Amino acid sequence: MSRRAILAVVAVLALIALGLQMSRGLSPALAARFNVDRAPQSLASEQPALTSSNDRNVAPAVSASPAAPEKTAESGSAVPRPTPGQAPAGLADVDPHKAFGSKNAPVTMEVFSDFQCPACKTLYITTNRQVMDNYVSTGKVYLIHRDFPLAMHAHSRVAARYARAAAQLGKNEPVEQALFQNQEKWEKTGDVDGTVAAVLSPAEMAKVRALVKGGTLDAAIDKDFALGQMYRVNQTPTTVFHSANQTYPYAGVMSYDILKQFLDQLLSGH
Amino acid sequence: MNLRRAIIWIGRLALAGIFIYAGYAKLTMGMHPRPPIGVALSFFALQVDSYQILPTWGVKFVAKTLPFAEIGLGLLLLIGWRFRIWATIVTLIMLGFFAAVVRSYALGLQINCGCFATPEPLTIKTVFRDGIFSALALLMTIFAFMEARKPHPWSAPEKA
Repeated sequence: MSRRAILAVVAVLALIALGLQMSRGLSPALAARFNVDRAPQSLASEQPALTSSNDRNVAPAVSASPAAPEKTAESGSAVPRPTPGQAPAGLADVDPHKAFGSKNAPVTMEVFSDFQCPACKTLYITTNRQVMDNYVSTGKVYLIHRDFPLAMHAHSRVAARYARAAAQLGKNEPVEQALFQNQEKWEKTGDVDGTVAAVLSPAEMAKVRALVKGGTLDAAIDKDFALGQMYRVNQTPTTVFHSANQTYPYAGVMSYDILKQFLDQLLSGH
Repeated sequence: MNLRRAIIWIGRLALAGIFIYAGYAKLTMGMHPRPPIGVALSFFALQVDSYQILPTWGVKFVAKTLPFAEIGLGLLLLIGWRFRIWATIVTLIMLGFFAAVVRSYALGLQINCGCFATPEPLTIKTVFRDGIFSALALLMTIFAFMEARKPHPWSAPEKA
Protein backbone atom coordinates (compact mmCIF):
# COMPACT_ATOMS: atom_id res chain seq x y z
CA MET A 1 0.00 0.00 0.00
CA SER A 2 1.38 3.40 -0.94
CA ARG A 3 2.17 6.08 1.62
CA ARG A 4 -0.69 8.19 0.30
CA ALA A 5 -3.20 5.40 0.89
CA ILE A 6 -1.93 4.89 4.46
CA LEU A 7 -2.33 8.60 5.16
CA ALA A 8 -5.86 8.53 3.76
CA VAL A 9 -6.81 5.55 5.92
CA VAL A 10 -5.40 7.26 9.03
CA ALA A 11 -7.33 10.43 8.21
CA VAL A 12 -10.55 8.47 7.74
CA LEU A 13 -10.10 6.59 11.01
CA ALA A 14 -9.46 9.86 12.83
CA LEU A 15 -12.65 11.30 11.35
CA ILE A 16 -14.67 8.27 12.40
CA ALA A 17 -13.25 8.44 15.92
CA LEU A 18 -14.04 12.15 16.17
CA GLY A 19 -17.57 11.54 14.92
CA LEU A 20 -18.17 8.75 17.40
CA GLN A 21 -16.86 10.85 20.25
CA MET A 22 -19.12 13.76 19.33
CA SER A 23 -22.18 11.62 18.77
CA ARG A 24 -21.84 9.77 22.04
CA GLY A 25 -21.48 12.98 23.97
CA LEU A 26 -18.15 11.92 25.43
CA SER A 27 -17.00 15.49 25.23
CA PRO A 28 -19.38 17.45 27.50
CA ALA A 29 -17.68 20.77 26.76
CA LEU A 30 -18.16 20.30 23.05
CA ALA A 31 -21.74 19.16 23.53
CA ALA A 32 -22.48 22.16 25.74
CA ARG A 33 -21.05 24.56 23.18
CA PHE A 34 -23.08 22.88 20.47
CA ASN A 35 -26.31 23.49 22.39
CA VAL A 36 -25.52 27.02 23.51
CA ASP A 37 -24.58 28.16 20.03
CA ARG A 38 -27.92 27.16 18.68
CA ALA A 39 -30.21 28.26 21.48
CA PRO A 40 -30.22 32.05 21.82
CA GLN A 41 -31.73 33.66 18.78
CA SER A 42 -34.01 36.65 18.48
CA LEU A 43 -37.57 36.06 17.39
CA ALA A 44 -38.34 38.89 15.05
CA SER A 45 -35.08 39.26 13.19
CA GLU A 46 -34.63 35.61 12.30
CA GLN A 47 -38.22 34.67 11.63
CA PRO A 48 -38.50 33.95 7.92
CA ALA A 49 -41.50 35.08 5.92
CA LEU A 50 -44.50 33.08 6.97
CA THR A 51 -46.04 31.10 4.21
CA SER A 52 -48.85 28.71 3.77
CA SER A 53 -48.98 25.84 1.37
CA ASN A 54 -51.55 26.04 -1.37
CA ASP A 55 -51.94 22.52 -2.57
CA ARG A 56 -50.17 19.51 -1.08
CA ASN A 57 -47.19 21.63 -0.06
CA VAL A 58 -47.56 23.92 -3.06
CA ALA A 59 -47.47 27.50 -1.90
CA PRO A 60 -48.05 30.82 -3.58
CA ALA A 61 -45.12 33.19 -3.75
CA VAL A 62 -46.75 35.31 -1.09
CA SER A 63 -45.40 36.03 2.30
CA ALA A 64 -47.22 37.39 5.26
CA SER A 65 -46.39 38.73 8.63
CA PRO A 66 -47.93 37.15 11.69
CA ALA A 67 -51.37 38.29 12.66
CA ALA A 68 -50.18 40.12 15.75
CA PRO A 69 -46.41 40.30 15.43
CA GLU A 70 -45.61 42.73 18.21
CA LYS A 71 -47.78 40.99 20.71
CA THR A 72 -46.58 37.49 19.90
CA ALA A 73 -42.96 38.56 19.74
CA GLU A 74 -43.26 40.01 23.21
CA SER A 75 -44.94 36.98 24.69
CA GLY A 76 -42.55 34.70 22.83
CA SER A 77 -39.47 36.40 24.18
CA ALA A 78 -40.69 35.84 27.71
CA VAL A 79 -40.64 32.09 27.21
CA PRO A 80 -37.28 30.33 27.05
CA ARG A 81 -36.75 29.02 23.52
CA PRO A 82 -36.16 25.26 23.54
CA THR A 83 -32.98 24.06 21.96
CA PRO A 84 -33.61 22.01 18.82
CA GLY A 85 -33.73 18.40 19.77
CA GLN A 86 -34.56 19.13 23.38
CA ALA A 87 -38.14 19.11 24.60
CA PRO A 88 -39.38 21.99 26.71
CA ALA A 89 -39.81 21.19 30.38
CA GLY A 90 -43.56 20.79 29.94
CA LEU A 91 -46.04 21.37 27.17
CA ALA A 92 -47.13 24.96 27.58
CA ASP A 93 -50.72 26.20 27.61
CA VAL A 94 -52.52 23.09 26.46
CA ASP A 95 -56.19 23.81 25.94
CA PRO A 96 -57.84 20.53 27.00
CA HIS A 97 -60.58 21.16 24.45
CA LYS A 98 -58.02 21.19 21.63
CA ALA A 99 -56.00 18.20 22.82
CA PHE A 100 -56.84 14.58 22.17
CA GLY A 101 -55.80 11.30 23.72
CA SER A 102 -53.94 10.52 26.87
CA LYS A 103 -51.62 13.12 28.39
CA ASN A 104 -49.40 10.24 29.43
CA ALA A 105 -49.00 8.94 25.87
CA PRO A 106 -45.36 8.27 24.98
CA VAL A 107 -45.52 10.53 21.93
CA THR A 108 -46.99 14.01 21.69
CA MET A 109 -47.81 15.69 18.38
CA GLU A 110 -48.39 19.44 18.30
CA VAL A 111 -49.93 20.41 14.98
CA PHE A 112 -49.63 24.11 14.08
CA SER A 113 -52.39 24.65 11.59
CA ASP A 114 -54.37 27.31 9.76
CA PHE A 115 -57.99 26.56 8.82
CA GLN A 116 -57.65 28.41 5.50
CA CYS A 117 -54.45 26.65 4.45
CA PRO A 118 -55.09 23.94 1.80
CA ALA A 119 -52.13 21.81 2.90
CA CYS A 120 -53.51 21.82 6.45
CA LYS A 121 -56.76 20.48 5.03
CA THR A 122 -54.83 17.74 3.20
CA LEU A 123 -52.92 16.84 6.36
CA TYR A 124 -56.14 16.74 8.38
CA ILE A 125 -58.08 14.64 5.89
CA THR A 126 -55.42 12.24 4.63
CA THR A 127 -53.20 11.76 7.66
CA ASN A 128 -54.29 13.15 11.01
CA ARG A 129 -57.68 11.47 11.04
CA GLN A 130 -55.95 8.11 10.60
CA VAL A 131 -53.53 9.07 13.36
CA MET A 132 -56.53 9.87 15.58
CA ASP A 133 -58.08 6.47 14.84
CA ASN A 134 -54.96 4.34 15.13
CA TYR A 135 -52.69 6.13 17.60
CA VAL A 136 -54.61 8.73 19.59
CA SER A 137 -57.61 6.57 20.45
CA THR A 138 -55.28 3.76 21.52
CA GLY A 139 -53.37 6.00 23.93
CA LYS A 140 -50.13 5.95 21.98
CA VAL A 141 -50.15 9.57 20.83
CA TYR A 142 -51.33 12.78 22.51
CA LEU A 143 -52.39 15.15 19.73
CA ILE A 144 -52.62 18.90 20.33
CA HIS A 145 -54.12 21.27 17.81
CA ARG A 146 -52.36 24.65 17.80
CA ASP A 147 -53.81 27.63 15.99
CA PHE A 148 -51.37 29.38 13.70
CA PRO A 149 -53.57 31.70 11.60
CA LEU A 150 -51.52 33.47 8.95
CA ALA A 151 -52.28 37.10 8.15
CA MET A 152 -52.22 36.26 4.44
CA HIS A 153 -55.50 34.38 4.95
CA ALA A 154 -58.36 36.81 5.46
CA HIS A 155 -60.67 34.45 7.35
CA SER A 156 -58.37 32.03 9.12
CA ARG A 157 -58.38 33.90 12.44
CA VAL A 158 -62.19 34.07 12.39
CA ALA A 159 -62.30 30.34 11.68
CA ALA A 160 -59.87 29.71 14.54
CA ARG A 161 -62.14 31.69 16.89
CA TYR A 162 -65.21 29.68 15.90
CA ALA A 163 -63.34 26.37 16.19
CA ARG A 164 -62.03 27.30 19.61
CA ALA A 165 -65.46 28.42 20.79
CA ALA A 166 -66.99 25.16 19.54
CA ALA A 167 -64.21 23.21 21.24
CA GLN A 168 -65.18 24.76 24.55
CA LEU A 169 -68.63 23.22 24.07
CA GLY A 170 -67.06 19.86 23.26
CA LYS A 171 -67.84 20.22 19.56
CA ASN A 172 -64.34 20.50 18.19
CA GLU A 173 -64.44 17.44 15.95
CA PRO A 174 -67.55 18.26 13.84
CA VAL A 175 -66.61 21.93 13.52
CA GLU A 176 -63.00 21.26 12.56
CA GLN A 177 -64.20 18.73 10.01
CA ALA A 178 -66.79 21.14 8.59
CA LEU A 179 -64.26 23.97 8.34
CA PHE A 180 -61.68 21.88 6.53
CA GLN A 181 -64.09 20.05 4.25
CA ASN A 182 -65.85 23.25 3.17
CA GLN A 183 -62.68 25.34 3.05
CA GLU A 184 -63.02 26.34 -0.61
CA LYS A 185 -66.57 27.63 -0.01
CA TRP A 186 -66.10 29.80 3.05
CA GLU A 187 -62.74 31.16 1.98
CA LYS A 188 -64.49 32.70 -1.04
CA THR A 189 -67.56 33.97 0.76
CA GLY A 190 -66.12 34.50 4.23
CA ASP A 191 -69.17 32.71 5.66
CA VAL A 192 -67.46 30.93 8.52
CA ASP A 193 -70.52 31.43 10.71
CA GLY A 194 -72.79 29.63 8.24
CA THR A 195 -70.34 26.74 7.84
CA VAL A 196 -70.19 26.19 11.59
CA ALA A 197 -73.94 26.69 12.03
CA ALA A 198 -74.58 23.84 9.60
CA VAL A 199 -73.13 21.28 12.02
CA LEU A 200 -74.33 22.69 15.36
CA SER A 201 -77.75 23.02 16.92
CA PRO A 202 -79.22 26.54 17.20
CA ALA A 203 -78.62 26.55 20.97
CA GLU A 204 -75.00 25.52 20.55
CA MET A 205 -74.51 28.05 17.78
CA ALA A 206 -75.86 30.81 20.00
CA LYS A 207 -73.26 29.93 22.65
CA VAL A 208 -70.51 29.80 20.03
CA ARG A 209 -71.47 33.23 18.70
CA ALA A 210 -71.49 34.64 22.21
CA LEU A 211 -68.01 33.28 22.86
CA VAL A 212 -66.72 34.63 19.55
CA LYS A 213 -68.19 38.06 20.22
CA GLY A 214 -66.86 38.00 23.76
CA GLY A 215 -63.36 38.56 22.37
CA THR A 216 -61.66 36.30 24.90
CA LEU A 217 -60.55 33.69 22.38
CA ASP A 218 -57.86 35.78 20.71
CA ALA A 219 -55.58 35.54 23.73
CA ALA A 220 -55.49 31.74 23.48
CA ILE A 221 -54.91 31.90 19.71
CA ASP A 222 -52.07 34.38 20.22
CA LYS A 223 -50.50 32.07 22.80
CA ASP A 224 -50.48 29.24 20.27
CA PHE A 225 -49.01 31.59 17.67
CA ALA A 226 -46.25 32.71 20.05
CA LEU A 227 -45.47 29.10 20.86
CA GLY A 228 -45.18 28.41 17.13
CA GLN A 229 -42.71 31.24 16.79
CA MET A 230 -40.74 29.76 19.64
CA TYR A 231 -40.49 26.53 17.66
CA ARG A 232 -39.51 28.59 14.58
CA VAL A 233 -42.67 27.59 12.74
CA ASN A 234 -42.54 29.44 9.44
CA GLN A 235 -45.24 27.70 7.48
CA THR A 236 -48.37 25.67 7.99
CA PRO A 237 -48.85 22.88 8.66
CA THR A 238 -45.92 22.26 10.97
CA THR A 239 -45.93 19.31 13.34
CA VAL A 240 -43.71 19.17 16.39
CA PHE A 241 -43.20 15.68 17.78
CA HIS A 242 -42.13 15.16 21.39
CA SER A 243 -40.85 11.83 22.59
CA ALA A 244 -38.32 10.73 25.20
CA ASN A 245 -37.28 14.33 25.94
CA GLN A 246 -36.51 14.98 22.28
CA THR A 247 -38.28 17.36 19.92
CA TYR A 248 -38.66 16.74 16.18
CA PRO A 249 -40.18 19.61 14.18
CA TYR A 250 -41.45 18.81 10.70
CA ALA A 251 -42.93 21.28 8.22
CA GLY A 252 -45.34 20.18 5.52
CA VAL A 253 -47.79 17.43 4.74
CA MET A 254 -46.91 13.87 5.67
CA SER A 255 -48.29 10.77 4.05
CA TYR A 256 -49.76 8.40 6.60
CA ASP A 257 -47.60 5.38 5.69
CA ILE A 258 -44.36 7.27 6.23
CA LEU A 259 -45.63 8.99 9.37
CA LYS A 260 -46.76 5.61 10.73
CA GLN A 261 -43.22 4.30 10.31
CA PHE A 262 -41.84 7.29 12.24
CA LEU A 263 -44.41 7.00 15.05
CA ASP A 264 -43.73 3.27 15.35
CA GLN A 265 -40.03 3.99 15.68
CA LEU A 266 -40.68 6.57 18.39
CA LEU A 267 -42.98 4.17 20.21
CA SER A 268 -40.54 1.28 19.97
CA GLY A 269 -38.23 3.10 22.36
CA HIS A 270 -40.84 3.07 25.14
CA MET B 1 0.21 21.26 -10.09
CA ASN B 2 -1.98 22.15 -13.03
CA LEU B 3 -5.52 23.51 -12.79
CA ARG B 4 -7.18 20.19 -13.55
CA ARG B 5 -5.35 18.42 -10.76
CA ALA B 6 -6.13 21.27 -8.38
CA ILE B 7 -9.86 20.99 -9.16
CA ILE B 8 -9.76 17.22 -8.73
CA TRP B 9 -8.19 17.62 -5.28
CA ILE B 10 -10.50 20.44 -4.21
CA GLY B 11 -13.54 18.48 -5.39
CA ARG B 12 -12.34 15.32 -3.78
CA LEU B 13 -11.75 16.88 -0.36
CA ALA B 14 -14.81 19.16 -0.42
CA LEU B 15 -17.28 16.53 -1.64
CA ALA B 16 -15.86 13.87 0.66
CA GLY B 17 -16.34 16.24 3.61
CA ILE B 18 -19.83 17.21 2.52
CA PHE B 19 -20.94 13.62 1.94
CA ILE B 20 -19.53 12.33 5.22
CA TYR B 21 -21.05 15.23 7.15
CA ALA B 22 -24.43 14.91 5.39
CA GLY B 23 -24.64 11.18 6.10
CA TYR B 24 -23.50 11.61 9.68
CA ALA B 25 -25.98 14.47 10.26
CA LYS B 26 -28.84 12.36 8.95
CA LEU B 27 -27.97 9.55 11.34
CA THR B 28 -27.61 11.77 14.40
CA MET B 29 -30.02 14.62 13.45
CA GLY B 30 -27.57 16.98 15.11
CA MET B 31 -29.04 16.06 18.47
CA HIS B 32 -27.49 15.45 21.85
CA PRO B 33 -28.17 12.82 23.00
CA ARG B 34 -28.31 11.13 19.63
CA PRO B 35 -31.74 9.61 18.84
CA PRO B 36 -31.91 5.92 17.91
CA ILE B 37 -30.87 5.34 14.30
CA GLY B 38 -34.31 3.92 13.47
CA VAL B 39 -35.93 7.18 14.59
CA ALA B 40 -33.44 9.28 12.63
CA LEU B 41 -33.93 7.24 9.46
CA SER B 42 -37.72 7.26 9.69
CA PHE B 43 -37.67 11.03 10.27
CA PHE B 44 -35.42 11.40 7.23
CA ALA B 45 -38.04 9.36 5.32
CA LEU B 46 -40.56 12.12 6.06
CA GLN B 47 -38.21 14.62 4.45
CA VAL B 48 -37.61 12.41 1.40
CA ASP B 49 -41.37 11.95 1.06
CA SER B 50 -41.94 15.71 1.12
CA TYR B 51 -40.25 15.99 -2.31
CA GLN B 52 -43.19 14.00 -3.74
CA ILE B 53 -41.01 12.21 -6.27
CA LEU B 54 -40.81 8.61 -5.07
CA PRO B 55 -43.46 6.03 -4.20
CA THR B 56 -43.68 4.88 -0.58
CA TRP B 57 -41.36 1.90 -1.08
CA GLY B 58 -38.84 4.17 -2.84
CA VAL B 59 -38.97 6.69 0.00
CA LYS B 60 -38.32 3.96 2.54
CA PHE B 61 -35.46 2.51 0.48
CA VAL B 62 -33.75 5.88 -0.04
CA ALA B 63 -34.17 6.87 3.61
CA LYS B 64 -32.63 3.63 4.84
CA THR B 65 -29.69 3.57 2.43
CA LEU B 66 -28.74 7.14 1.52
CA PRO B 67 -27.07 8.22 4.80
CA PHE B 68 -24.83 5.14 4.81
CA ALA B 69 -24.12 5.49 1.09
CA GLU B 70 -23.11 9.12 1.63
CA ILE B 71 -20.64 8.22 4.36
CA GLY B 72 -19.26 5.32 2.35
CA LEU B 73 -18.84 7.35 -0.83
CA GLY B 74 -17.24 10.20 1.12
CA LEU B 75 -14.70 7.81 2.61
CA LEU B 76 -13.99 6.24 -0.78
CA LEU B 77 -13.41 9.69 -2.31
CA LEU B 78 -10.94 10.46 0.46
CA ILE B 79 -9.10 7.19 0.10
CA GLY B 80 -8.94 7.54 -3.66
CA TRP B 81 -9.10 3.83 -4.47
CA ARG B 82 -10.85 3.34 -7.85
CA PHE B 83 -11.44 7.05 -7.69
CA ARG B 84 -13.11 7.52 -11.08
CA ILE B 85 -15.83 4.96 -10.31
CA TRP B 86 -16.83 6.63 -7.04
CA ALA B 87 -16.44 10.11 -8.49
CA THR B 88 -18.89 9.16 -11.24
CA ILE B 89 -21.40 7.79 -8.72
CA VAL B 90 -21.04 10.87 -6.49
CA THR B 91 -21.60 13.09 -9.54
CA LEU B 92 -24.73 11.19 -10.53
CA ILE B 93 -26.07 11.46 -6.98
CA MET B 94 -25.27 15.19 -6.83
CA LEU B 95 -27.01 15.76 -10.17
CA GLY B 96 -30.00 13.80 -8.83
CA PHE B 97 -30.11 16.00 -5.71
CA PHE B 98 -29.81 19.10 -7.86
CA ALA B 99 -32.65 18.00 -10.15
CA ALA B 100 -34.88 17.26 -7.13
CA VAL B 101 -34.13 20.62 -5.54
CA VAL B 102 -34.70 22.56 -8.78
CA ARG B 103 -37.98 20.74 -9.40
CA SER B 104 -39.23 21.41 -5.87
CA TYR B 105 -38.23 25.05 -6.04
CA ALA B 106 -39.86 25.48 -9.46
CA LEU B 107 -43.08 23.89 -8.20
CA GLY B 108 -43.02 26.17 -5.16
CA LEU B 109 -43.00 23.30 -2.67
CA GLN B 110 -42.66 24.73 0.81
CA ILE B 111 -40.49 21.96 2.21
CA ASN B 112 -37.31 21.54 4.16
CA CYS B 113 -34.24 20.61 2.16
CA GLY B 114 -33.38 17.63 4.37
CA CYS B 115 -29.81 17.88 3.07
CA PHE B 116 -28.14 18.00 6.48
CA ALA B 117 -31.09 16.83 8.61
CA THR B 118 -31.76 20.35 9.87
CA PRO B 119 -35.08 22.17 9.44
CA GLU B 120 -33.61 24.25 6.63
CA PRO B 121 -36.23 25.61 4.20
CA LEU B 122 -35.60 24.94 0.52
CA THR B 123 -34.79 28.34 -0.98
CA ILE B 124 -32.94 29.77 -3.98
CA LYS B 125 -29.81 29.65 -1.81
CA THR B 126 -30.21 25.87 -1.56
CA VAL B 127 -30.59 25.64 -5.34
CA PHE B 128 -27.38 27.66 -5.92
CA ARG B 129 -25.48 25.68 -3.31
CA ASP B 130 -26.48 22.34 -4.83
CA GLY B 131 -25.69 23.73 -8.29
CA ILE B 132 -22.17 24.64 -7.23
CA PHE B 133 -21.60 21.24 -5.61
CA SER B 134 -22.94 19.47 -8.72
CA ALA B 135 -20.73 21.52 -11.04
CA LEU B 136 -17.72 20.78 -8.85
CA ALA B 137 -18.50 17.05 -8.88
CA LEU B 138 -18.96 17.08 -12.64
CA LEU B 139 -15.70 18.95 -13.27
CA MET B 140 -13.84 16.70 -10.84
CA THR B 141 -15.03 13.58 -12.62
CA ILE B 142 -14.41 14.86 -16.15
CA PHE B 143 -10.92 16.05 -15.22
CA ALA B 144 -10.20 12.76 -13.45
CA PHE B 145 -10.94 10.85 -16.66
CA MET B 146 -8.88 13.32 -18.72
CA GLU B 147 -5.92 13.11 -16.36
CA ALA B 148 -6.08 9.31 -16.38
CA ARG B 149 -5.21 9.33 -20.05
CA LYS B 150 -1.97 11.17 -19.35
CA PRO B 151 1.06 9.52 -17.66
CA HIS B 152 1.33 10.30 -13.94
CA PRO B 153 3.62 13.31 -13.34
CA TRP B 154 5.60 11.36 -10.75
CA SER B 155 6.21 8.45 -13.11
CA ALA B 156 9.63 8.04 -14.65
CA PRO B 157 10.09 9.66 -18.06
CA GLU B 158 9.81 7.30 -20.95
CA LYS B 159 13.13 6.14 -22.27
CA ALA B 160 13.94 7.11 -25.83
